[in-house]
This record gives sequence, structure tokens and C-alpha cells, in this order.
Amino acid sequence: MTDCGCDKAKKDLEEYLHNELQAEDAADIREHLENCPDCSEEHQVGVVLIEAVQRACRETAPEELRVQVLSRIRELQSH
Amino acid sequence: MPVAPALLAERPAPAAGRSWSPAVELAAMTDDSGFSSDNAPTAAEPVERPFEEQALPFMDQLYAAALRMTRNPSDAQDLVQETFVKAFAAWSQFRQGTNLKAWLYRILTNTFINSYRKKQREPFQTPIDDLEDWQLGGAESTTARAARSAEAEAIDHLPDSDVKSALQSIPEDFRMAVYFADVEGFSYQEIADIMKTPIGTVMSRLHRGRRMLRDLLTDYARDRGRATDTPPARSTR
Repeated sequence: MTDCGCDKAKKDLEEYLHNELQAEDAADIREHLENCPDCSEEHQVGVVLIEAVQRACRETAPEELRVQVLSRIRELQSH
Repeated sequence: MPVAPALLAERPAPAAGRSWSPAVELAAMTDDSGFSSDNAPTAAEPVERPFEEQALPFMDQLYAAALRMTRNPSDAQDLVQETFVKAFAAWSQFRQGTNLKAWLYRILTNTFINSYRKKQREPFQTPIDDLEDWQLGGAESTTARAARSAEAEAIDHLPDSDVKSALQSIPEDFRMAVYFADVEGFSYQEIADIMKTPIGTVMSRLHRGRRMLRDLLTDYARDRGRATDTPPARSTR
């Protein structure tokens, strides 16, 4: 690692966000983020993006679907 | 209910429960609540819990995923119903103790690909998949820091409807990779299993999907007058 760590951090950021890095690599990134405002901002955008998608995708299945599924299963069970 | 009634009838007094059979230990590993009291709820049965009890709690999540796949509520309902029927039929093949959620998502995704995608527009392998540019996103590093902190803020304030419509407009394989990782929290390996693609393809789809999403959301935010090139608010708190 000859650069300040930004190249590696930027490359691994997405895997870091998804908890896909080995503990040691994750610790490197974490440390880098603490000391690098630039990468830390980039990380923040990634976090916000995940949160926005999670928020938008929350759904409740319609009651009629629940009823339909249960009745299909009951029907199959009775055969 | 072919199996459960007999097993239910043989259920011993809860106090004697712990050592009477291996099934107890299995159940205790996943759910040991209820053993302490005499009127233990049925959820703590020391037997394999029936399909409905284990699988149906995933309905909301499967429906949400189905909505992102089919992009309309009526198809999403049909897809979820078909998924549960197939899962029920294959229930004996599910290995208790393995990841039920991933198993259900695999069925959902297969069903979608086989029954719905054929009717729809996109080919299974989108040509853009072939370009190996997951490190490419180049433009991102040029974004100035001030802009980037405003970008995070702007994305954070977008209404759900904008995020949904951005998701709808990115290619399906990318959209689902993002959905599986960011909403469901599946690992790359689990997503690879669900989508039946190599892990490198998952990473590529995820990276590009997130990049597209981010660009779209930044555009939406700009259109809504929360331009990312406005300097971030200073010293207001």
C-alpha cells in the first residue's frame, strides 16, 4: 500500500458496506474512514442509499393474499 | 395436517420436556421460550413447527420482493401465492435449521424467471452484464466533497415514491441484486445462489445497480430543488 489508503478504501467500500470483508480488511477500512473525510463522505452516501432503499421497499401483503395462500395450503393439505 | 396432530397429542408436560427426545434439543436451539412455564405457547412446541408457522411470516417480505420483480401488485400477489404453493409442495426437501428465508427467495426467484419473465420484456442475461466494468464507476471519485455531503442529505430526504420509481427504472437483474443485498441483507454468496450467477456477477450487478440508483436519486433531488451543487448549510446548529 503506497498511497494514503483511499484507493483501497474506495475499491472495498461496497463490500465493507455489505459486511463482506474479512475482519482484518474491514478494520483497515474502518480506520481509514475515521481519518479520511473524503472516503467517509463517500461511505455516508452509501449508507444513506441503503437506508433509502430499505425505507421505500417496506410493504405489507394485502389481507386477501394471506387468505388466498392459506386456503390454497389447506386445500393441498386435505389431499 | 398429516403429521402434526399425532405429535401434538404426544407432547409431554413442559417440565419433563428437556431430555425426552432429540427433537426437543433441536427446537430448543431455535426457540427455547416457553419451556419455563406450564402454559407454554404452541410456538415453543418441541416438534418441527408446521409449514404455515415457519414460512408464512415471510409473506410481507416476499410480497415486497415480488412487487419489485413484477412491478405490479396483481402479478406480485400471484407470484407470492405460487411461491408458497411450490414451497409447500417441496417442504419435505427443506432441511430444517438451514436458511428458510433464502430457500423461499430461491423459489420466488425461480418462479418469477420461469413464469413471469418470459412474458415480460427483459432477456435473462442483459447485454450490459457482459461489460466487466465494476470498478469503472470512475465519475464517482471526481464528485467534490461538499457536493457529496449534500448528496447524502438530499437522498436521505427523498420521498419513498422517488426511490421506488428509481428502482423500477434500473434493469431487473441490477434491481434485484440491490434489493437482495440492501433490503434483505443477503450475503453475496446467498445472492449468487438465489440468482444462480457467479459471485463476480453479483458484485458487478450490485455495484452498477447502486451506481445507477444513486445517479437517478441525485437527479430527482436536483429536480426537486435540493440541488447538490448548493453549498451545504453551515453553522446552523
